[in-house]
Amino acid sequence: MELKLTVCFLPVVLLLSGCSSLGVEPWERSTLAKPEMQLISDPVSSGLDDHIYFSKEGSSGGRGFAGGGCGCN
Amino acid sequence: MIEGREIDHLVNLKAEEGYWLGSFEAMASPCEIFMEVEDQNLAARLLDIASVEAWRIESKFSRYRSDNIVHQINNSKGRPVKVDDEVAHLLDFAQQCWMLSEGMFDITSGVLRRVWHFDGGSRLPEKQDVDQVLSHVGWHKLTWSRPYLTLPDGMEIDFGGLGKEYAVDRSLLLLQKETHGAVLINYGGDINAKGQRKGGKPWSIGIENPGQLNTPMGVLKVNQGALATSGDARRFILNNGRRYGHILNPKTGWPVEGALRSVTVAGSTCTEAGLLATLALLQGEEGEAFLKNQDVTFWVTP
Amino acid sequence: MQLKKHKKIKHALTAATCTLLGVDATDSIAEEGDWAFDSAVLYYSEVDRVDAVEPVISATRDFGDEKLLNIKLVFDVLTGASANGATPSDQPQTFTRPSGKGAYTSSAEETPLDDTFKDTRIALSSQWEQPINRDYKTGFGVNFSTEYDYTSFSANGNLSRDFNKSNTTLSAGLSLAYDTISPEGDIPIAFSSMAIDSGQDDFRTEFNATRGDGEDTKDTVDLVFGLTQVVDKNTVMQLSYSFSDVNGYLTDPFKIVSVVDNNGRPVDYLYEKRPDSRNKQSLFWQAKHHFKSDVVDFSYRYFWDDWGITSHTVDLRYRWKLGRKSYLEPHIRYYDQSEADFYHRFLNEGDSLPDHASADYRLGDLNGITVGVKYGVALANEQELSLRLEYYLQSNDNTEGALPGILNDVDLYPDVEAIIFQLSYNF
Repeated sequence: MELKLTVCFLPVVLLLSGCSSLGVEPWERSTLAKPEMQLISDPVSSGLDDHIYFSKEGSSGGRGFAGGGCGCN
Repeated sequence: MIEGREIDHLVNLKAEEGYWLGSFEAMASPCEIFMEVEDQNLAARLLDIASVEAWRIESKFSRYRSDNIVHQINNSKGRPVKVDDEVAHLLDFAQQCWMLSEGMFDITSGVLRRVWHFDGGSRLPEKQDVDQVLSHVGWHKLTWSRPYLTLPDGMEIDFGGLGKEYAVDRSLLLLQKETHGAVLINYGGDINAKGQRKGGKPWSIGIENPGQLNTPMGVLKVNQGALATSGDARRFILNNGRRYGHILNPKTGWPVEGALRSVTVAGSTCTEAGLLATLALLQGEEGEAFLKNQDVTFWVTP
Repeated sequence: MQLKKHKKIKHALTAATCTLLGVDATDSIAEEGDWAFDSAVLYYSEVDRVDAVEPVISATRDFGDEKLLNIKLVFDVLTGASANGATPSDQPQTFTRPSGKGAYTSSAEETPLDDTFKDTRIALSSQWEQPINRDYKTGFGVNFSTEYDYTSFSANGNLSRDFNKSNTTLSAGLSLAYDTISPEGDIPIAFSSMAIDSGQDDFRTEFNATRGDGEDTKDTVDLVFGLTQVVDKNTVMQLSYSFSDVNGYLTDPFKIVSVVDNNGRPVDYLYEKRPDSRNKQSLFWQAKHHFKSDVVDFSYRYFWDDWGITSHTVDLRYRWKLGRKSYLEPHIRYYDQSEADFYHRFLNEGDSLPDHASADYRLGDLNGITVGVKYGVALANEQELSLRLEYYLQSNDNTEGALPGILNDVDLYPDVEAIIFQLSYNF
């Protein structure tokens, strides 16, 4: 359990402690600006997947709104 | 207007030894077209095509006009402006240059001229004035999402650093569609040549400021390829014995220290050669080292 | 500030110049293609169960200055059968259809499936996004969906703020939803016994006695807080926390729970009953990294709710660039959930009735694994075509302990297997 917590909080700690050194200059964003580097790079597929897993599993949401709008669950 | 156009837009064609030489004025520079073609009619047509293209680009991208897209963008007061494909391509190119140069090449830096006057005088601008203008500089502060450009109020763009070289390359492309003969274009020292001359002779071009090139006095020999020059040794401020060159750092708003006075770069296109020359100036004291690393032929005036 | 170690930029510059000069740039008017379309058709097929075909069209209009309008239309055509929750038996079993009109039978030892599953869903959504100023951005959206017996409305808004040269973004979003369910044959009364038509005269009266209101509703409030951080030139990550509060009718009106005797044979079927509120929370972490030409995308979600479900979801994609124009993207997803407190695969005759009970396998102890691959190719004029094929396997675990009688000889927890195929075209 302790290990799990550590793993869970590692990214948080990294984010908070490293804020000043993390990041890039504005002109260094050419790679980050690519469509495939967007956090949701294929919104249509993500939407379809969310719908499938919403109707097949007990969990939903996380990335965005838990949503629903479907009588399937 | 028609009169003005006739006066401004004069072309002159004369026969030289084995080629035709056309000349006209555009972009505040003398422009020359060297054409190794037999037919005078063809030469006249080529001159017409090249000059029309140069004037088209000048009128479309000049920041001194009030009837073009650049004026529209610079007076958009923060509203999005929809641009055509050509402007979009130039904006894409400007963005890539900005990224490749890590922010040093910036088409929004022109507003710094409001506080900097490189007239050979001694007056430096006040720091707070520079800082005030600098808040309107920075490509990352505008929004470029093809085909819309949104420029925050107070910012300006200026294609001056690209326009002449772009016009040379564009004009040459258009001429190549018309002839296979050897052609050289020289717009105010920015040069591009295509096609082998008969007998393999190089073109000889008179150069205004030969001090910057390791060539015989005032004459440059060119076979094929492009040459572009950046820098102007005459534009500076001399303050307390210190020389401030006219190359401004868009991140600080102050002149780049130790910049070369003039750089000439050879390349396959005038646009690319011109960009490398400009970037070399922006590198300050490291300009020459920068050029050596790019595997290009170049000449510098320290 | 000098270019680091005078990096060689000539090749990149040559490429950029070629693009600039390679086009026929005269005073051409920008094409009026301001609307960009993403379209897709998804085919989802479970072995022996549900088939679904879902066409989607999504249109986005760019108004400049990062102002975007998106409109999305999804059709969802479902056919097939779905487990009704009852246990299999050594005898055939007959169940009354949810409408009360007719019955369906499952053979001995088979998982009882309600084959009346047939629906068409239409979902329409619209989203507007715009910056407020240099640092703040906002967005609003509305969604509407309707199917034969279900409608849903929702509205959402979000606000984000950039810090640290836009390398850090904090965002907050709120969504409110209102759903109405009105099943044919009305909503069953929770824990009432399913009336079975065995020729009795008063079946209709018996059936009506199990029916309550014609419709019921639920309200959902969703909150999402996100932190996006650019790590370096090639890495970006996101952490979000979501909170969801649902109140109202959360029961599935088509699901039942078997009451079995000492031998494991059904003596009664009760309509299931779930709590009328649910509070869900999740933590989601995603990281994307661009290698020289490939992209890896990893995400992890931890989910928990007050029904006792906790789950872990791990998702990994690797976008492998094949050339200038195409890529292959293998994908693996693993999902593991613990059961809801009121999940009972069956109830024992004679035991007192719990407060809530559901035998819906989706609330049980289950895990799911998805493996798939996507192939995408860029066409001319910024069009893209992609194909996706995935296999999904869901397995439930027995948490009931000792099973009575015949239930030891039947498959109480059958796997669900599905194939997902998707064709997408962006233009």
